[in-house]
Amino acid sequence: MRRLNPSLIAGGLIVGIVVLMALVSFVWTPYDATFVNPAARLAKPSWSHWFGTDKFGRDVLSQIMVGSRTTLFVGVVAVGVAAVIGVPLGILAAMARRWPSELIMRTNDLLLAFPALLLAIMFGAVFGASTLTAMIAIGIASVPSFARVIRSGALQVMRTEYVLAARAAGRQPFPIAVRHVLPNVTSLITVQASVSFAIAVLAEAALSFLGYGTPPPTPSWGRMLQESQEFLFSAPRLAIFPGVAIAIAVLGFNLLGDGLRDRFDPKLEDRR
Amino acid sequence: MIVRLIERTAVLLVSLAVSSVLVFAFMAVLPGDPARVALGVNASDQTVAELRRQFGLDRPLPTQYVDWLGGLLRGDFGTSYVSKAAIGPQVFDRLQVTLWLVVAGMVIALLVAAPAGTVMAARHRKVSGLALSAVSQLGVAVPAFLAGILLIMLFAVKLGWLPANGWTPPAQDPAMFLKQLILPALSLGLVQGAVLTRYVRSAVLDVLREDYLRTARAKGLRPFPALWRHGIRNAAVPVVTVLGLQLATLLIGAVVVERVFVIPGLGSLLLDGVSNRDLLLVQDVVMVLVVAVLVVNFVVDLLYVALDPRLRVGSR
Amino acid sequence: MKSYARAVALVASAALLVLTACSAGSSTTPGSSPGASQSLSIGLVAEPASLDFTTTDGAAIPQALLGNVYETLVKQDDSGKIVPSLAKSWTTSPDRKTYTFDLVDNAKFTNDKPFTAADAVFSINRVKTAWTISLKSAMDVVQEAKALSPTQLQVTLSKPSNDWLFRMTTRIGAMFSESGVSALATDPIGTGPFKFSKWNRGDSIVLQRNDNYWGSKPFFNQITLKYFKDPTALNNALLTGTINVIGAVQAPEALKQFTSNSKYQVIEGTTNGEVLLSFNNSKPVFSDIRTRQAIRQAIDHKALLDTCFAGRGKLIGSMVPPTDPWYEDLTGIDPYDPAKAKSLLQASGAAGKTLRLRLPTLPYATSCGQVVKSQLEQVGLKVQIDQLEFPAAWLTTVFKNADYDMSIIAHVEPRDLGAVFKPTYYTRYDDPTLQQDLAAADAGDEAAQVDNMKKAARRISEQAAADWLFLLPNLIVADKNVTGLPQNAITESFDLSRLARS
Repeated sequence: MRRLNPSLIAGGLIVGIVVLMALVSFVWTPYDATFVNPAARLAKPSWSHWFGTDKFGRDVLSQIMVGSRTTLFVGVVAVGVAAVIGVPLGILAAMARRWPSELIMRTNDLLLAFPALLLAIMFGAVFGASTLTAMIAIGIASVPSFARVIRSGALQVMRTEYVLAARAAGRQPFPIAVRHVLPNVTSLITVQASVSFAIAVLAEAALSFLGYGTPPPTPSWGRMLQESQEFLFSAPRLAIFPGVAIAIAVLGFNLLGDGLRDRFDPKLEDRR
Repeated sequence: MIVRLIERTAVLLVSLAVSSVLVFAFMAVLPGDPARVALGVNASDQTVAELRRQFGLDRPLPTQYVDWLGGLLRGDFGTSYVSKAAIGPQVFDRLQVTLWLVVAGMVIALLVAAPAGTVMAARHRKVSGLALSAVSQLGVAVPAFLAGILLIMLFAVKLGWLPANGWTPPAQDPAMFLKQLILPALSLGLVQGAVLTRYVRSAVLDVLREDYLRTARAKGLRPFPALWRHGIRNAAVPVVTVLGLQLATLLIGAVVVERVFVIPGLGSLLLDGVSNRDLLLVQDVVMVLVVAVLVVNFVVDLLYVALDPRLRVGSR
Repeated sequence: MKSYARAVALVASAALLVLTACSAGSSTTPGSSPGASQSLSIGLVAEPASLDFTTTDGAAIPQALLGNVYETLVKQDDSGKIVPSLAKSWTTSPDRKTYTFDLVDNAKFTNDKPFTAADAVFSINRVKTAWTISLKSAMDVVQEAKALSPTQLQVTLSKPSNDWLFRMTTRIGAMFSESGVSALATDPIGTGPFKFSKWNRGDSIVLQRNDNYWGSKPFFNQITLKYFKDPTALNNALLTGTINVIGAVQAPEALKQFTSNSKYQVIEGTTNGEVLLSFNNSKPVFSDIRTRQAIRQAIDHKALLDTCFAGRGKLIGSMVPPTDPWYEDLTGIDPYDPAKAKSLLQASGAAGKTLRLRLPTLPYATSCGQVVKSQLEQVGLKVQIDQLEFPAAWLTTVFKNADYDMSIIAHVEPRDLGAVFKPTYYTRYDDPTLQQDLAAADAGDEAAQVDNMKKAARRISEQAAADWLFLLPNLIVADKNVTGLPQNAITESFDLSRLARS
């Protein structure tokens, strides 16, 4: 029985729009997002520039569209890194014996002491600030939540009859992991991915604001926010557009995550 | 119980040791010679080499690590390469400032989340509950620095009720201190509160469904006192755990808020240190942050056990 | 067991509160609100890394301390002329190699020791022996410094040098006390109108009036220099009364909120800060003068200034600000002409080449970099921007290793033409003709200096050794009732002694 709930619908819709915007931006944007046009700078929203222009005369709508690419890219890579490391770690921790499992979880907890921003600043200082360092840092910082959640789920799967039977029959752990555990935690992975995506978007915005994120001229919502600071008095719209974009994207992913969680297992409702 | 305590303490110590190695190793890899940056643009290679010798940067890495760790344990944080001033007092001062900010933020978060989350749980199938849920979702989606910028625009620049930035120590001018604390604490706290609300709601919902609450009501206790006496203790467990986990995020989230509100806290000390390649300073600050988080998590773990009797029976 | 948990929690929180209440942030901002009539608060960016400018580079330290805490023998007046300070008068020998200074007799250091010629000798010699910043090389021309009497100083140079007396007005001419150099990084001791009071790292430097000052006492008895990293926070601080003066506006776009407000005054003058688009002259792509000229002609400087600095600032054609005696308007050399730029690039074969524009993470550099990229791409060049963290990464990569094609940075030291355009500097500019002109300017008399410096300035412009994007403006915003603010920033110091409140 399919369960569609308001969160899932709303979240799915918002995420869908953001993804669509990013895809469309590859083919068409109203203007070249990096084209500097001093004559048209700081224009108010009008028919020729729906969102107006920034201090360089660049079209804000085009920047928002191309910026969504950065946002999604950061989210995908960060979540990808987190999942690729965190999921096997979680499953391993669930299936291993006491000592190795404890070790993995303790190391995991240690990683929690290094939040995304701290890692990204340090990585940025070593390797130079860029989208790549930001993504990897955020990804690594998101590993602990993945590992924890997957471990919990894997532990539950381990107690099911199929797995108990398979172990009794003497099956090796690796095939068990792949054939039984992994498919049954995919729903958890999806939910966590959604939540981590939202966190990644926020982290990228904060990093760009501090100057450790995507360098110019590639449009980035976080950096647009930072550049808009000068104009809070004269042109607050320059802060509102990227600010709202960030908030909506994060909202969308959070709602999606909630909706997916509700759909896959209502018993898990509202749990972390 | 004792076994668990010993086990946890051992884990804490090992974690601290491992973190110190990680942090040191990371700093050692950082490109950009601190001596050169400290001496500035045009210093000759000879003077740079001199300074490196002075800082002890030409010794083998393990020696430098042991010296550094030993110093930390003695309470000696070393001297900054750039400002030549003792690092310890700086870190201590800034830590206090950040603590004020973080604690104030957490207090606001709790003040927001506790009632909001409870109400949302109590009315979770009604429209008002859903509406509150939507608002909290929005709160989670707004980055703390954006909240800060908006608050400044409204309350400081437009209305002029509160100062836009700055910091005064409480001992010096309590009134000014409070006025300057409000907006940054709100920026941190409101967003954190939104995150926390959802956990409170979920924890309270769980409690509402539990048998012992029905038993309490069956015993004749009215719903609210029942919720209070039996429910809160149990709802507190996951919330306290989350608070502990959120501390790391809060401490670093404070970095951006410190930038927007020009507050001389640990976060801005860290950023300055990285930008000036003040290696020793960065090492010390990162270590302090990591230790703070690990210790808080340790305490939270203990409180967890203290709060929930079911967990004291030794098994995992 | 419930009470156990509660007890633990209570004790822990009580301990925390007591600990923090004691002295939280006690080394941060000190007392008096700027409302009090005799104190002033000035907002600046770029906090000094240390208080010792003899070993630490950067403009922030002399900005705060030179002229206020430390004094020099001679200083510059508003028109750039060299006038007496600690030296009442001086004479030059006919061969212009020996200077004899008559010093004031009533100057005292803040450690209560009097200022004598012995201190001057000590300070001058110390530049060669104890200073590590590169600017110290300006003292190399001094052969001997001698105290003829407690108030007479004789300095002998190895060759005549116009530049030397000028440099004595900058930080290397600062007068230190023989017994006052033990803690330069944290406790500066000078003869100036202010004495150092407190440094709240990350926040502010506090200076107090020196009541034993030998000259006319300043109006304010306390001045706080507050440092902001965020330009908007700086603006907001003035709006909300936390500071009274913005010493250097970083976000010129936001000036509108001050110009339209009668509570504030806005000052716009010139500085010594040339924003340079530097070419790495050692790279083969820049060896053809046509390529360099083409780059200069591809840039619409007026549009660039409007876009990246709100139109505030002056367009310059060489490395000389209007306040120097040999200033000439050379903006007519290589003017904006994209068509000509395209053809020059075709001729030199550089059309279609990719250039790396490596920018420091400074706001004006980031802004201008994007405009430069866009304009150069319109004449057929490809530009790749990357950002290097400032100061550390940029200093190592661009400055020391010259691993770049183009970069953008402001050079704020006074009279730095010779220092910037030489083969060992990151510009890697090797030009014997220029060296000759500079040597002649230094060795000749005043008239010869002006002539030769003009020739030098013209030379680097005609040779397109670099492009000068604009001259940073001296942008100050302050409460209407503050007086004595400088119109132009021609020296390394922010003169606090003439500030007053009407």
